[in-house]
Amino acid sequence: MTTAAPPARALFRPVPTWRADGVAAWLPALVMTLLLGALVLPPVAILVRTSLEGPAAGLTLEHYRALLSDPKLWSSAWNSVLFAFFATLVSLLIGGAQAWIVERTDAPLRFLANLTAVVSLGTPYVLTVGAWLFLLGRAGPLNHGYMALTGSGEPLFNVYSLSGMILIEGFLWSPLVFLMLSATFRRSNAELEEAARVAGATVLQTVWHVSLKLARPAIFGLFLFVFIRNIESFDVPVLIGTPSRINILTTDIYLGVTQTPPRLGFASAYATVLMVIVAGLLYLYGRLLRHADRHAVVTGKGFRPRPFALGRYRRWASALILANVMILLVLPLAAILWTALSPFIRPMTLSGLATLTLDNFRVVVDDPSSFRLAINTLAVSAAAATACMSLTVIAAWLHVRRWPFAGLLDQLTSVPLVFPGVVFGLAMIQIALRGPLPLYGTFTLIVFAFTIRYLPYGMRYAFNGVLQIHRELEEAAGVAGARQQQILARIVAPMLTPAISVGWMFIFLLASKELSMTVLLAGAHSKTMAVVIFDQFANGAAGEAAAIGFLWMLFMTGVAAALFAVMQLRPGMGVRA
Amino acid sequence: MTSTRMIARRSVLAGLAASTLAPRLAAAVDPSVVAAAKKEGEVVWYASLVQNQAVRPIVAAFQKAYPEIRVSVVTGTVNDLLLKLLDEGKAGSMRCDVSHAGSAFGPLSRAGLIESYVPAAAATFPADYKDAAGTWTAQVVSFLAPAANTTLVKDGDLPRTLADLTDPKWARKIAWTNQMSQGGPPGFIGMVLTSMGEEAGMAYLRRLAPNIVNVPANQRVVLDQVIAGQYPLALMTFTHHAELSARKGAPVRWLKLEPVIGTADAAYLLKGGPHPNAARLFLEFLLSKPGQETFRAAGYLPADPAVEPELPGLTPQSGGFRAAFVPLPVFDASVQKWIGIYNELFK
Repeated sequence: MTTAAPPARALFRPVPTWRADGVAAWLPALVMTLLLGALVLPPVAILVRTSLEGPAAGLTLEHYRALLSDPKLWSSAWNSVLFAFFATLVSLLIGGAQAWIVERTDAPLRFLANLTAVVSLGTPYVLTVGAWLFLLGRAGPLNHGYMALTGSGEPLFNVYSLSGMILIEGFLWSPLVFLMLSATFRRSNAELEEAARVAGATVLQTVWHVSLKLARPAIFGLFLFVFIRNIESFDVPVLIGTPSRINILTTDIYLGVTQTPPRLGFASAYATVLMVIVAGLLYLYGRLLRHADRHAVVTGKGFRPRPFALGRYRRWASALILANVMILLVLPLAAILWTALSPFIRPMTLSGLATLTLDNFRVVVDDPSSFRLAINTLAVSAAAATACMSLTVIAAWLHVRRWPFAGLLDQLTSVPLVFPGVVFGLAMIQIALRGPLPLYGTFTLIVFAFTIRYLPYGMRYAFNGVLQIHRELEEAAGVAGARQQQILARIVAPMLTPAISVGWMFIFLLASKELSMTVLLAGAHSKTMAVVIFDQFANGAAGEAAAIGFLWMLFMTGVAAALFAVMQLRPGMGVRA
Repeated sequence: MTSTRMIARRSVLAGLAASTLAPRLAAAVDPSVVAAAKKEGEVVWYASLVQNQAVRPIVAAFQKAYPEIRVSVVTGTVNDLLLKLLDEGKAGSMRCDVSHAGSAFGPLSRAGLIESYVPAAAATFPADYKDAAGTWTAQVVSFLAPAANTTLVKDGDLPRTLADLTDPKWARKIAWTNQMSQGGPPGFIGMVLTSMGEEAGMAYLRRLAPNIVNVPANQRVVLDQVIAGQYPLALMTFTHHAELSARKGAPVRWLKLEPVIGTADAAYLLKGGPHPNAARLFLEFLLSKPGQETFRAAGYLPADPAVEPELPGLTPQSGGFRAAFVPLPVFDASVQKWIGIYNELFK
């Protein structure tokens, strides 16, 4: 995450002489700005308008008044901050440690960390969160075993608590941290670490004084990015916070939307306030990244870092990787499989083994719609990832190369980050119902919504990629007479391929499991796999949901492995962005 | 019996019922409606019923009777579907023909989105189960009662009355759904206030509040958590769900604490839906003998008194319990007040 947002004055910076003059110089960035604005601003407008609509005609501030006079507002806000801060810390510790071990050391079994990150990114939250809740819950093996051994009537660990919420959210986002910090550690200067070791520093001293210091700006940037994600997160706070009566800011938005009849005005006012807070955090994030870029100059030399010899710590590093594999992959998979094989939800006990059955799998395999659903989901996710990366590569290039009028592009692509999924889904419904094109209930609408939703992620990957390319090559092509489109298509895009492929894969995996928004947008003929899993889960067919989920996880692992293999095999590509 | 076999058997039964009874159903419906419905070729059904138990067998049975008419199902929770319907109505672009759910009826009706139609198939239904003007008709009825995990709660410890539920030994051990429907907290609060009176009812709810855990899921998931052992007791679970699970060997039973809460799952047509004739035919089918028998085969309690439920002991008559129905208009008029009480005491 060593990206940079250029200063605001870049908006009207003069262009180099080898570029076209006049319209050709300012039109591309202006068109891109208008296009992105047209994509991301209407949902914002709808949100704000809904927050100002009362039961009567005309606009009202009633919802904001109700919000600010809610005595629970400040405790919700404080819980939000605590939750987001500590969950981010957990993600950074787990993901960061994994990233460092994989990228900078010679520990065995490193490949398992990549596999774990990809599989867990592709699994619907409702399944992994459900699995962790099951494992850590009262009836899970931990508490069940403890109560059986001690004869106690009370569990050892109450997962329905703020700490349970933090732990599970922390697990959930650690793969994202892992993937993003991997890139940072890969580029950091190994010679400094080696110098420290030669000078007699221990492994821990080297990590603390050299590796972490070098990566500090990137880590701060990432911290803020994940913190923002956690502030606007719904799934875990609602699933865990509701039983324990721990409300955070997004819980109230969720409750407002899910109440019958839904309190859309109130929920929108809440979301608008949250959006303003998050926008402030994003501004800070942008400033941090600018700072980070100055540090990146130190680490931006062209060299291939050598792995850091861990010596007797190698085993410990492998143990950490294995622990991560267990927590993020093996245990949730086991819990999902257990649920899929049980005739009804029951604790993992020896006596339960006798009743296991393949019935749920039979129902899924016999269902003729399963195959079509899988294909639909892959097609929608691939289309959204492609559209999103195409837009952000152009936007990032225009922005980094400081074309006239390109100053707003980074900010515009960040806007979707501030929307909670449900709220964004509702805004998209309204756009589709009132727009000139018959998009409502179609796959096109879902692709459209995914494309907007994942712009911030695409931008981060594309931005990183463009920053790494020297402009001299483009200038040389320009001097040699190439037109801008040719430069973009034949110089920039090929060199950006590694960054584009990692970003594409990331968005593809996120989109294939997106739920809160897709549930609202799916029509009778436009369901994705995550929606079907959620429907089954919410309608009480937990065993069937687990069976579909398990098969889907296996399938997505195969798809991801195949994509990775293709990227690694082709010269000049590779996931090593 | 395994669940697949049960489902397969249900589908076969439903299919048989549909194929033999289709002529009888068609006779009850105006032939011009049937012809027009076939011409429309599709009906869009927004359904929050359990997928494998109810939605699939019903679609299969209807399409067996009317192969020319495709049933497109949009699934989701009652609230997801209500949000969509309200938005579609607001934009003047209704995509749904038939839907159901008592708690969504009020908001839809106020938004002017309900199409009146008196189904011929429901002529013999009790007056409590339908609106005389044809705005809604119950497709199934349900009864909600507490349920207990029989491994965690020994027979002697089971609550015998509603008052037993306020015992401090159940502190934070009684789960219920947080869905604000007739079958959720507002329905329970309404029943308590109606049956005990305002003052005694509020005092009871205050004593009960410390024992309650809100679960952000529907009644079936709450019951699953009781079966799994996460909570020993649950309130407001469907008695037929507990009965179905107990038959598969799950350690669960429902408790006959009176009054048991009765709800009617109202089915209705949407105004301006894309297939008005197919919509009528589909509604007629849901309420007809074949439709009601399909619901019965899925373990639901048919609204038609002539179709006996498959599981015995689940209706007030066969189970020998007293049930309290909150009529839909009363629920609609009071639900905001009851949600207010929930927010104050339980949230």
